[in-house]
Amino acid sequence: MTTPASWETLVGDDPVLTIAQDLFTTMIDGEPGHLSPWLADTPDMDDARYTWVDVAGPIVTRVMLTAGRATGENLTRALLVMGAEEPVSDADFADAIGEIVNVVGGNIKSLVTSPGALSLPVVAHEAPDMSHGTRLMETYFGWKGAPLGVSLWALS
Amino acid sequence: MKALVIDDSRVMRRIVGGILVGAGFEVVEAGDGQEALDQLAAHDGITLCCIDWNMPVMTGFEFVVEVRKQPQWRDVTLMMITTEGEQDQIVRALAAGAHEYVIKPFTPEVILDKLQFLGLVEMKETV
Repeated sequence: MTTPASWETLVGDDPVLTIAQDLFTTMIDGEPGHLSPWLADTPDMDDARYTWVDVAGPIVTRVMLTAGRATGENLTRALLVMGAEEPVSDADFADAIGEIVNVVGGNIKSLVTSPGALSLPVVAHEAPDMSHGTRLMETYFGWKGAPLGVSLWALS
Repeated sequence: MKALVIDDSRVMRRIVGGILVGAGFEVVEAGDGQEALDQLAAHDGITLCCIDWNMPVMTGFEFVVEVRKQPQWRDVTLMMITTEGEQDQIVRALAAGAHEYVIKPFTPEVILDKLQFLGLVEMKETV
């Protein structure tokens, strides 16, 4: 049983890494070991896509996943057990990436005390305006050689 | 056996539906709680509903409450499959009439174990 905590205690990579690895092991890769911390410099995302869910509360908290389009397509193929060259529709892409951030966000939410409701996922070609938000944490993972970013924001 | 998979994510409907088809179910799908109520009314013989919590139009929790108001659906087994993992959410769903609760992410084995526990699929042979 996880001890409830405040959002501030999540300003570290470990809980998010554990959640993400659990998701990738069970539903994407079917085995552990394919998702690991990104140890190189902050990566550039090629043709990035941004996906997020918000957790309601006195301060709205946003969980955002950032991935390149090609990486997102590979994640979609893995989730749907598609062939390596099989084309990925925009609808499947948005649905799959949205579900990934939904699972990560929902599991992060369950770590904190008395969180509010989880929003439905949003998928966008451009990063949302976060000028009124405070970044609580940001971390990058490597999956099959490609970077994936996860960040946590407090929105005012 | 017939199952209704209720999730606003088509990806999740395909994943859960695939597991259920492999277990011998005929699968019907719905993208939200209201559509699920319509499907339940339109299809005879649905014995299992796998229900996401967060959906547009009508949530999975609201769907459970509505189903439990209807005597004709009292034998339908309701299994939540959701990212909502807080203890009070689980208690709320079970108190409202859900039989089982699975937190995403999950493996096919987790779903099949729950179905065996509920008596909806045969127990696996153990060596």
